[in-house]
Amino acid sequence: MQKAFFLLFVLFTTHCFSQKTDFKHINFAKADRIASTIKSKRLFNLNKLTLDLTKNLDTDIEKVRAIYKWICINIASDFKLYSKNERKRKKYKKDSIKLAEWNSELKRDLFSKLLKRKKTICTGYAYLFKAMCDVVDIESKMVYGFGRTVDVTEFDPNYPNHTWNAFKINNKWYLCDATWAAGISYPDENRFIFKYNDGYFLTEPELFIKNHFPIQKEFSLLGDKMPTFQEFIEMPLLYGGAYTYLNKYIAPKKMYHSLQKGETFNFNYVFKKEIDPKNLKLVFVSGVSEKTYNPFISQKNDTTILRYTFNKAGYFDVHLYYKEDIIATYIFEIKKDNQN
Amino acid sequence: MKTSTTVKMTTSTKILITLFFISFLCTSTINAQKVEVKGVVKGKTEEKAEPLNGVNIYLKDKSVYTSSNRKGEFTFPKTLNVGDVIYFSYLGYLKQKVTITKNTTNLTIVLKEDDNEMLGAVGTNKRFSSKRKGQ
Repeated sequence: MQKAFFLLFVLFTTHCFSQKTDFKHINFAKADRIASTIKSKRLFNLNKLTLDLTKNLDTDIEKVRAIYKWICINIASDFKLYSKNERKRKKYKKDSIKLAEWNSELKRDLFSKLLKRKKTICTGYAYLFKAMCDVVDIESKMVYGFGRTVDVTEFDPNYPNHTWNAFKINNKWYLCDATWAAGISYPDENRFIFKYNDGYFLTEPELFIKNHFPIQKEFSLLGDKMPTFQEFIEMPLLYGGAYTYLNKYIAPKKMYHSLQKGETFNFNYVFKKEIDPKNLKLVFVSGVSEKTYNPFISQKNDTTILRYTFNKAGYFDVHLYYKEDIIATYIFEIKKDNQN
Repeated sequence: MKTSTTVKMTTSTKILITLFFISFLCTSTINAQKVEVKGVVKGKTEEKAEPLNGVNIYLKDKSVYTSSNRKGEFTFPKTLNVGDVIYFSYLGYLKQKVTITKNTTNLTIVLKEDDNEMLGAVGTNKRFSSKRKGQ
């Protein structure tokens, strides 16, 4: 009986702890240092590279961290290949044979580029992460699904566009996305810049789901709290900044809002400790005009509440910024008093 | 002094220990079907099989490993015992394992392409802009 209670207790507590706090006793500085000192011009000897990265680390989470960090700071995003792939996939959407042929051709091209030039697209990042975890016998998975970015706010449910990873430590699954953590792509300029964002490692599933909708539902790690696809496509658009600055995203849950002129609206977030809410601002864009407003900010426990009263009718893209970094975008349609 | 407590061995213990070691040597000579393993690794895609450069070839515990050259050729750095298992892995292909027998001296391994779709949404900081009529 006592044993049963103990087991229940263990199950309950392990379930309660969130992703990052599970490892708060572990400092990633050592794993990060190893990741930044080990260089490999090519990836041909993946076993050796992985063993070099992990051999002096004691815990599985540090090993995963070293692998993940190494990938993020060494593998570049290949925008050319990405856009070519998008084009071809759209072209062959209805021709499964041609699509399979293209996929095979792409794979050869993709893996050869990854091995020789350390450049890839997101499935390549996820694939490499899994392959390296395999070397050190840590269970991991490639998770296919829908990544919500500025370019893809409209989804075809039959057409997933992104891949990330889940890995298992002490019988519990955790999430990470090396592609988006590695840096920022400038599609118009065909450029990629390494800029590591730590927010995509051990991310809280409630935040991760905002722009990662897995095809296999269990890998949302949300259990029965997993939103529907419809709820997902109506969510606000979050950027890398959300992962940098937020611990938790609370509200609003939708991107589009229709309000009456004079109505007051609340935005609720839990920011990371080091964030000073004074630096938060709302940028309103309507057509070519752009205005910055400072919302009324209050604090309730760990939640920061931004309050704004819409006194002008119109159709606005409202962006939340922290200093110069964009966090989220909403759309507000503000109607005059008598308008429906 | 404590250091003087050496163990005094009787003759019979000595004999036993020697026998023990001899038995060890014997068994290892019996099992020692040393096999030198080399070969070539290819990767098979939808159309053709081509030599793979840089395939990871290793024992399960990864204590000994090597990789293939440009022509896909390799020589395993250590002679192996019959029954040993070596693994072949390469990004984008399914891992394959081979159990060593007396005859596995010249291997031709064909790795199969992993069946997965390639996708890629890139991370940008480009700001969203509503596409509405009249804007």
